[in-house]
Amino acid sequence: MKEFAYFPGCSLEKMASSYHMSAMETTQKLGVKLNELDDWNCCGATTYFYIDELLAYTLCARNLAIAEKTGLDVVAPCSACYKNMFFTAAHLKKDEDLAEHVNFALEEDNLHFSGNVKVKHLIEVFAQDIGPDELKSKVTKPLEGIRIAPYYGCQIIRPQKEKEDVEQPQFFEELISAIGATPINYPLKMRCCGGSLIISSRTAALTMVRNLLQSAVDNQAAVIATACPMCQVNLEVYQQQVNLEFGTNFSVPVMYFTQLIGMALGIPNKKLGIGKEFVAMAPTPLAVETAWGLPRKTK
Amino acid sequence: MTDTITFGQEISNLLHAAEGEPLKTCIQCGTCSGTCPVAGYMDNSPRQIIALINLGKKEQVLESNTFWYCASCYHCTVRCPQEINITELMYALKRYSIWKNRYKEGLIGPTFSEAFVKMIVRGGRSFEPVLATSYIFSFNTREFVQEIQGATELLLKGRLPLLPARIKRLENFRRMIGRIIPMGGLE
Amino acid sequence: MTKKLLMIDDDPDFVSGIKAILDKGGFEVDVAYNPKDGMTALQTKQYDLLLLDIMMGRGAEGIMIARKLRKDVKLRELPVLIMTGMREQIAFLFPGEPIHPRFVEIDELVEKPVEPKMLLEKVNSLIAAAEAKKAGKK
Repeated sequence: MKEFAYFPGCSLEKMASSYHMSAMETTQKLGVKLNELDDWNCCGATTYFYIDELLAYTLCARNLAIAEKTGLDVVAPCSACYKNMFFTAAHLKKDEDLAEHVNFALEEDNLHFSGNVKVKHLIEVFAQDIGPDELKSKVTKPLEGIRIAPYYGCQIIRPQKEKEDVEQPQFFEELISAIGATPINYPLKMRCCGGSLIISSRTAALTMVRNLLQSAVDNQAAVIATACPMCQVNLEVYQQQVNLEFGTNFSVPVMYFTQLIGMALGIPNKKLGIGKEFVAMAPTPLAVETAWGLPRKTK
Repeated sequence: MTDTITFGQEISNLLHAAEGEPLKTCIQCGTCSGTCPVAGYMDNSPRQIIALINLGKKEQVLESNTFWYCASCYHCTVRCPQEINITELMYALKRYSIWKNRYKEGLIGPTFSEAFVKMIVRGGRSFEPVLATSYIFSFNTREFVQEIQGATELLLKGRLPLLPARIKRLENFRRMIGRIIPMGGLE
Repeated sequence: MTKKLLMIDDDPDFVSGIKAILDKGGFEVDVAYNPKDGMTALQTKQYDLLLLDIMMGRGAEGIMIARKLRKDVKLRELPVLIMTGMREQIAFLFPGEPIHPRFVEIDELVEKPVEPKMLLEKVNSLIAAAEAKKAGKK
């Protein structure tokens, strides 16, 4: 059984609890154990970097140090947490002075980070450690005929970590195919949803959400799959506001990829946190809906 | 040692490794502006901001809203043919304007960032309801109502926390921060 | 003999004002505008005093420099005068609370803006104290 340290991040405690639930359920079913970090703290989102980068590195390093103690690599389900932890680990490895200073601060919590932890995004666990073939072999209820728009968003793939493809990645599509669904290709799958601007620059963010939804709908997506709580909230919760703002009529379900995988693995909806969303999975063939026991959309 | 430095050097000194002047290598190709999903809302595009920095136009840069509109999507960064980390530059400019207390009036970004960091420094984890008070009153009536409606629905679906989450070893955590930011009445 | 000072501060406007005062006071002043150049200067040249800013580059990097200095056998005795505007720079984080680099030994801390007469007095007295300490050790 593969085992990882697991850093849920603040959003997964409440706002994205369905992501947390479905992550735990699906990994367990696929033979991967996620151990939640003891007493983890906020990764700092992007905001610390505006104020004090040394503080930002220290906060991430505390979580990395807690993970290092367990001897396991660490997994983050949120793209922003992942990016922050990944690059903090990289910077501390490269910059001795920075590592020394940050570790001096960590002493206050009896911690030390030596740089021996690999940081992964949750979707990488599915795409690499489990792999689409293994996933496919475990599927009991293939999501046949469902057109799913893989939404990569930003910080899983950007900035570039090594030499990986940052323009046309395929790992999300492969996971969708593995569960029997149809991954759709749409031009905005790599574009930013504006999640970090929804508070500070609302009009810009809502426009970005609208463009993304439009691009998915134009390509007949029945559902958008995300791998980030920020993207999910932005694309789903703000859909009503987009409709009010632009006179559109979007009703696109936006689900975590782990929820969709969970359905295909035959895990009951309730255990996947299904029912907490604003836009229920609906514009899908009736047969599938009935099979899943999903509520019909009411207007 | 030089007598003084240019604005470009001043900004370069804020970047991660403080090594050389990456902005000087900019060829003004405009790939960043063409890629940026928010360029249309910025009063100066990313390409223009780099040009203004290289020309030493400090006031114009400080008065620009550009860096507060940056969504941190790193699309410009992965495409820049000169490998300039433009997103990091935007962070640096935000930091510069916060430290100088010189950000453009009426922006929610800086206040929101300040409230966010303050919240984490106190409790270790994020708590949306407190955070909301830092911006909700800057919204116009329509936005305000929409935001409250959204929040209410989240609450009904059990997606908003009612109590702030705090980490257990908070005292250690605060002392840890005290070693990085030497401020605040500890002890 | 002319006393040599190093100033590490990222704000060119502040530097030019302070440097003018110190030049007039008969000091020889080198300036580094970022922590990295500052460390290089400290390791390659001899100074009688360091004037150090706190918020630079990525954050409170002045503290990093002060800590490194105090661990360095050659630089340990160098008097350090911190001049910081951090209360203004990140006041929102700890409103009204003091600046406290307790965990690293510094000789004196003043907050910007710095008054010329006081600056010269402090610089002189810190250098004199360091020299007396050195002489006492011999």
